[in-house]
Amino acid sequence: MVQVSCIANGQGVEVAAPLLEMRGIIKEFSGVKALDGIDLLVHAGECVGLCGENGAGKSTLMKVLSAVYPHGTWGGKILWEGQELTAHNVRETEATGIVILHQELMLVPHLSVAENIFLGNEITSFGGVLNQAAMYQRSAALMAELGIPEVNVAMPVSHYGGGHQQLIEIAKALNKKARLLILDEPTSSLSGKEIEVLLGIIRMLKSKGVACVLISHKLDEIAAVCDTISIIRDGTHVATRPMGELSVEQIIAMMVGREIQTLFPREAHEIGEVVFEARHVICQDIDNPARRRVDDVSFQVRKGEILGVAGLVGAGRTEMAMALFGCYPGHSVATVLIEGKEVAVHSPSDAVAAGLCMVPEDRKRHGIVPLMGVGYNITMASQRKFSRAGVFNMPAEMHAISQWIQRLHIKTATPVLPIQSLSGGNQQKAVIGKMLVPQPRVLILDEPTRGVDIGAKQEIYKLMMELAGQGVAIIMISSELPEVLGVSDRVLVMAEGRLTGDFVNEGLTQETVMAAAVGKTMAQAA
Amino acid sequence: MNSVTRNIQAVFSRYKVLALLLSIVLIWTFFGYFSQQAFGNDDGLYFRPSDWPGFEPWSGVFLSARNFSNLLRQMAITGMLATGMVFVIIAGEIDLSVGSLLGLLGGLAAVLDVTYHVPLALNFAIVLVAGAVVGLINGYWVAYLRVPSFIVGLAGMLLFRGILEGVTHSTTISIESAIFIQFGQAYLPQWVGWILGLALCVLIASIGYRGRLNRQRYQLPSAPVWQDSTKLFLVVCVVVGFVYALNTYQGIPLPVLLMLAIAGFFTFVARNTVFGRRIYAVGSNLEATRLSGVNTQRVKMVLFGLMGLMCALAGLVNTARQATGSPSAGNLGELDAIASCFIGGTSMRGGSGTVVGAMVGALIMASLNNGMDMLGVDSYWQKIVKGMILLLAVWVDVASGSNER
Repeated sequence: MVQVSCIANGQGVEVAAPLLEMRGIIKEFSGVKALDGIDLLVHAGECVGLCGENGAGKSTLMKVLSAVYPHGTWGGKILWEGQELTAHNVRETEATGIVILHQELMLVPHLSVAENIFLGNEITSFGGVLNQAAMYQRSAALMAELGIPEVNVAMPVSHYGGGHQQLIEIAKALNKKARLLILDEPTSSLSGKEIEVLLGIIRMLKSKGVACVLISHKLDEIAAVCDTISIIRDGTHVATRPMGELSVEQIIAMMVGREIQTLFPREAHEIGEVVFEARHVICQDIDNPARRRVDDVSFQVRKGEILGVAGLVGAGRTEMAMALFGCYPGHSVATVLIEGKEVAVHSPSDAVAAGLCMVPEDRKRHGIVPLMGVGYNITMASQRKFSRAGVFNMPAEMHAISQWIQRLHIKTATPVLPIQSLSGGNQQKAVIGKMLVPQPRVLILDEPTRGVDIGAKQEIYKLMMELAGQGVAIIMISSELPEVLGVSDRVLVMAEGRLTGDFVNEGLTQETVMAAAVGKTMAQAA
Repeated sequence: MNSVTRNIQAVFSRYKVLALLLSIVLIWTFFGYFSQQAFGNDDGLYFRPSDWPGFEPWSGVFLSARNFSNLLRQMAITGMLATGMVFVIIAGEIDLSVGSLLGLLGGLAAVLDVTYHVPLALNFAIVLVAGAVVGLINGYWVAYLRVPSFIVGLAGMLLFRGILEGVTHSTTISIESAIFIQFGQAYLPQWVGWILGLALCVLIASIGYRGRLNRQRYQLPSAPVWQDSTKLFLVVCVVVGFVYALNTYQGIPLPVLLMLAIAGFFTFVARNTVFGRRIYAVGSNLEATRLSGVNTQRVKMVLFGLMGLMCALAGLVNTARQATGSPSAGNLGELDAIASCFIGGTSMRGGSGTVVGAMVGALIMASLNNGMDMLGVDSYWQKIVKGMILLLAVWVDVASGSNER
């Protein structure tokens, strides 16, 4: 009854009622809860900052809201101006006025700015003929509104840099009459000045009554534009407060606060002299050479030491590893010393020959050779060992393979079963095994337990301890703080391409690491 | 119980080749029946079958020893190209220039022979080296300069054909050296055929035996003795039948022997060598292979070099067989080779395929050509039928889900 009267007399109620209300959102992925009862309130003209660690569920929550996961595949309720929202695809949510801007830009580089803005919403006259004039006019008006009248809407999008492209995305959203704009890490590929422009536009949109949800790792950006901050952790809602009420320290404490489980079989092992040294690692962004993904990072690793590398997504850790291994796709510079001797690493084969091996982050794309047998994947990096004059000694190879399969506890029906038919954990163990057969002195593990079940995780940790005990220097990049603190002897922290922390892992807390990861420099943290 | 299921699985994984062999039986039965019908009619349009040497009254003309020999000779050139092409396709690339390159290298051999009177051994050596070098250059463009192989092949197709036409002044050149011609047309004496057959059987048996010993040395499980013996027995039957059938006519044709030797060698390369395994790895996941420390660019370049070498061999055989170097030699040869690979179950997305499959594919193509020629089917119809069969074969492959990732 109340609701009927509300709608009837309109005006007064609209101010008080939230634009969007998400209640008790639950989303499961094959039995694992990614979101466990999350609430979120957004009012018209308000900007809400959404904070949380890697994998806390921020992106998942936004995918629920924008119906990337259609209604019915998740639990809970979404109310839009008091009405329940049951969208089944992104088009429907966009029609309501909810537009999401993904972390990766979704523009078609070869089409013009105007064509991109109207992609899928083209203005047509009779018979489906494009009304170019109308689209150009409207696009130019949008550019003026966003304060970038210098953009020529007839030019291809690829003509403009990352910052402008981000704004063109916003123009595209505004053109869809967006009333709630979701920005997922919008500044991750922008320079300082471009970020300022973007934040200014968010303020301008707020003043026009457009609501925003801003997902960002950078707390200073959130502090600059958001009215409210909402923190989530492990799929649950931690707190929602007005921006001014919380200090940065409090926010960080709320973001981490996870217990380190007894999952980690940390054992004492001997740490020897320095075996690996990286000096002045620099990686340029592929699209924007002026920007450095990794900006002058130097560090050392000792024999038998496990060095954890922490940081938020996009901090440049994977890029650094690729540069060291000789496979960074853009331009990179790095001086690598193994046992005090400089090694020229121009390709992965150079690296492997020098005793430096890497297990890449993306198992499917960079790790497995899917159609090939598990065993042949394991021997892939050391085929010369099992061959003479290029011809395999097949039984000798098979003998070694079965020993490795046993040692790594890989569950497979036969050693020649194509690796693609194994579970993720077993695939990962094989990919790690592949990089152990050449007997490396330095091993880089990039997210070694991503997408792996608990059992396999534990086996991988045990293996790492065993290797460290044998004197292998291990560099482990991980986005899971408990994992970093659970297995490392020393922890490096990176933020925005720079080294912001170097800690001995004794009494080290998640808060300290997280503070460095959100960009506080070493001097500030100390 | 477990071993039984595993054996059934093994049979199913070879299901592709079985299906192909079955389709060969069907094609042969079809042509055997209809060619007998056609030649049975005494309408004066054809030679009477009994006029043909080696005619066996109990079978259709298609299924005679003479035609079997003919069929294999026709297949030899496509077969050689297909053995190289199957590796290129497994590595996820394609080479469209092989027909033209075959023509060019065959033409080169003819020019060297006729115009410059180069001794035969040197002539062959020059042509083989030229083939390998041109192939490596193709590979360099693909692997290091990153031009898509489709384009490199297309460019080579025009380029090589153009050079060939320029070199031969668009005329055919008749070979003078009798031994050269023998290279494409000779038959092995019967006793040599038998000795080679015997040697092959002994070789296969000894490889199998050594493999068993080796597996025991490393304490690996071996197949039961009866299984290996049965396999060996079947192989011996096939070899004996093959040599017998060809000896019934004039013996094993030299180009066929060459093709079989190449196919055997390449099968070995695919299964037992580092290079062979890398070809499959590159085709299945290039990035992962590169990150394992494999020089994938070199693998690709060598692959194309090998393809060039095969073109040289095929070119020599082709020139010898026709006793001329012709400006149109090898025209559309690449299509037959590529079709053979795909019919033989090679995955279009790279990473899987076998030399044996490609050979069977080539046999199917050759059987269709030969059978339709024999039935007097117009050449335009032949093209239509071959096109449809290629489409159908690949569709069956796709529909059976064998290429899903």
